[in-house]
Amino acid sequence: MTDGEIDDVLNRAAGASPEVDPALLESISRSVVSSLAPVRPLPRKSVLVAAATAICVAVGVGGAAMLGMHGIETMNPVQAGVIFPVLGVLIWLASRVSVSEMSPGSPRGAAPWVWPAAGSLTLLAVFAILFQEYRTERFVSQGLTCLKAGLLHAIPTALATWLLLRRGFAVSPIASGLALGTLAGLAGVMMLELHCVNFAAPHVMLWHTAVLPLSGILAASAVWTWRSVTAVRT
Amino acid sequence: MNPDASLESLMARYQQGDSSAVTALVHRLSPQLHRFFLAQFISRRDADDLLQETWLRIHQVRHTYRPGEPVVPWLYAIARNIRVDHYRKAYRAGVREQSLDEGAALTAPSQRERPGSPDMQSLLATLPESQREVIAMLKLSGMSLEQVALATSSSVGAVKQKAHRAYESLRMRLSELGFAAARKGASS
Repeated sequence: MTDGEIDDVLNRAAGASPEVDPALLESISRSVVSSLAPVRPLPRKSVLVAAATAICVAVGVGGAAMLGMHGIETMNPVQAGVIFPVLGVLIWLASRVSVSEMSPGSPRGAAPWVWPAAGSLTLLAVFAILFQEYRTERFVSQGLTCLKAGLLHAIPTALATWLLLRRGFAVSPIASGLALGTLAGLAGVMMLELHCVNFAAPHVMLWHTAVLPLSGILAASAVWTWRSVTAVRT
Repeated sequence: MNPDASLESLMARYQQGDSSAVTALVHRLSPQLHRFFLAQFISRRDADDLLQETWLRIHQVRHTYRPGEPVVPWLYAIARNIRVDHYRKAYRAGVREQSLDEGAALTAPSQRERPGSPDMQSLLATLPESQREVIAMLKLSGMSLEQVALATSSSVGAVKQKAHRAYESLRMRLSELGFAAARKGASS
């Protein structure tokens, strides 16, 4: 049987589908018209992407400015010249994904989990190339301090970006949470790179990079929990 | 006239508060949305409810449509969200999906009784949900591959792959039903 013949069968089967009740259409029209008022469409995607990027950079830089920009002051020009442009590109990409997730019918280049995974792998590769010290003194205690600081900076970024995008509509709320959390995590990573002076490769590769996927997972989990709670109530 | 272009202008007028644009959109887009819901093994009554719910959601989030962008993928992205919510609610309520027999009983009797012409629901019954959805959009709603990709938040390649696999399953299903032989017999 050819594709054309299958098309033919499907088209004939589709043509035999029952019609919508005209009374139902009238009822829908009346109900919609009864609360009709002009609305302002969402701003252009490029505007929202620029604003989300600005929020992320502002939180990262602002946090580091308060804690002290010791990290960037200690870095060599190559490290600074590679890490911050890479972070900038990742933040811009994560902003694009977050904005798309809140706009129904927007193109999505990859599955939702690909972005945090690709971002984490990119950071791991960059850190592995740029940092060659392999000492592990106070590995866990210093690491947890950095992880906590990174995640604490992710929270205001996620809240501010959510406020920016709240007029949108998330067709897949958990994917939206993951995207937003990933973007917020990048603010935390940026703050750590600007502030932290521990350039040991294991420390940077594990504890700094971990902020990104953890923030994404925490945000997605928060959305999932919120949806479960509201679902039980309804 | 490009039909999608006029949908765009109707959407723009809807956002400006034009009631005639709303009525035109509801009458023009509802039949294909209704068929889309029916193809997902949803009863006629549930499909009516989902259609109403979809339009109410569209009304709530009409500002998320950006003038100039294609209307159909935007609309179906919202309709999918409503359908998924419906499944979740049904699952929580312990309601199992309707069986194929129940679904088939909802189609027009004349169609079921016609020999050699399987109805849409029995054809789609053998397909996994994601393939069924793609076939419903392509064949029942007349959407293009690009529109389906946008509505389902996937790539054109992924949609093509799902459609290809669905056609392979349908080919086997129709062969099992002896449909090709019946057609040949009817045409000779």
